[in-house]
Amino acid sequence: MSYDDVEIEDMEWNDELQAFTYPCPCGDLFQITKEDLKLGEEIARCPSCSLYITVIYNMEDFLDHSNQKNNKGLEPSKQHPIVVA
Amino acid sequence: MNDPQLMEDDVEQELWSWGAGTDAQLGTGRLEDNNLPQLVRTPSLSSAPAISFLSCGGAHVIALTAGGGVLTWGRGNSGQLGLGDMISSLHPKPVMRLGSYFITHVSAGWSHSGFVSDEGKLYTCGDGSFGQLGHGDYQLRCFPEEVLFFSDKHVDKIACGMRHSLALVKVYGFGAGKRGQLGISKKIQTVNLPILSSNLEAAEIVGIAAGGDHSAALSAEGHLYTWGRGFKSTSDVYSPQHLPSPSSFSKVALGWNHALVLTDEGELYMLGGKHHGALSDSEMLNSMKSLPGDSREDNFQAVPALSGIKVLDIAAGAEHSVIVTEDGGVKTWGWGEHGQLGLGDTCDHTNPQTVNLNLKLESTAYDVKVYCGSGFTVAVATSNLPN
Repeated sequence: MSYDDVEIEDMEWNDELQAFTYPCPCGDLFQITKEDLKLGEEIARCPSCSLYITVIYNMEDFLDHSNQKNNKGLEPSKQHPIVVA
Repeated sequence: MNDPQLMEDDVEQELWSWGAGTDAQLGTGRLEDNNLPQLVRTPSLSSAPAISFLSCGGAHVIALTAGGGVLTWGRGNSGQLGLGDMISSLHPKPVMRLGSYFITHVSAGWSHSGFVSDEGKLYTCGDGSFGQLGHGDYQLRCFPEEVLFFSDKHVDKIACGMRHSLALVKVYGFGAGKRGQLGISKKIQTVNLPILSSNLEAAEIVGIAAGGDHSAALSAEGHLYTWGRGFKSTSDVYSPQHLPSPSSFSKVALGWNHALVLTDEGELYMLGGKHHGALSDSEMLNSMKSLPGDSREDNFQAVPALSGIKVLDIAAGAEHSVIVTEDGGVKTWGWGEHGQLGLGDTCDHTNPQTVNLNLKLESTAYDVKVYCGSGFTVAVATSNLPN
């Protein structure tokens, strides 16, 4: 059973791993690559344990911009902090 | 353990750790999981004053020692150890940057850390991607840096969750707020400066907790407030909600999908519990008695196997639970895949199981405190030697 459903905007891009990541309760990170996302894969796995999450995203977002290295629309939400008055 | 300064001379202490260990979080000097308690023997620990408080994060540990010193170990890739680098540490190391301060409270989040001094200053370091360091930006810090927002206030406590932080002056929140965990009455992606949480103005808050995307506070009267991500499948809560109960609560511990609360009488209750950390079997849930309360979903559930057993301390990992019973015994249940239950296997357990701690303390009068990181557990046994 999927541990959690996580929106892609809540995942963080990790340069070192070349993957979108989200904290796993074991202490490691759930991971999914852009290539996986392009293929419609929606399961992000943790390399250290049996748990996995379901990633909620729009596949087309990844297909359309495959040549663009820094796709602003897909970077984690932290890149676009909401300014608080 | 209440007066650290009195402890230094006459104290005998052991630190045991178990569970996920591949980021050095067990402090054993080895990068491996351990499904049985490991006695942590390192020069830096034995030469340091006794540990008075500990906090465990995603994969790092912060130990507060008698005399206000701080040791850290475990994963350091975001600067969360406060040692000036982004390297994991196999052994406890003193945080020299805090050396001139008397630290009174600490908290370890997923990948950030908070330290409070006796002067009421708050220092944070580690991952700042969500504003959880409170410095007004999204940068990481490798050394603890004072949160200047609080320069004219007195911070008493700090609580660090997955991507957010709470500071107790009144209660302030900063960092990620999408699930309501900042308690500022609205959904907000991130906040990088502290904001006063709503709904708590009238309450005298004495304790705060942050875990996963959950937040909680305890008032001087023993009232419990929760906010953030809903337990079970309930919706997120954007303002602190008082959970009515006839009991007075003394401590709350938050996992990623459950909470443990301890009453003044030493009774344990749980919130949530559809995931590993809790009693997930439906028949178990049905057989549990509940504390009467208005909140329909967030009912306080008693743990049947603990009926009549007085509980002294509680800790919650992401998906496991640890308690200390009146006889000094340590019991665990929940997710066990990384050995975090300390039972010698990697099985899950829905009922509390007894951990065999082979304490070597000379004294038979000792006190055990338990602490949980996401996938690991630490127990500190302390005795006062007869003079």
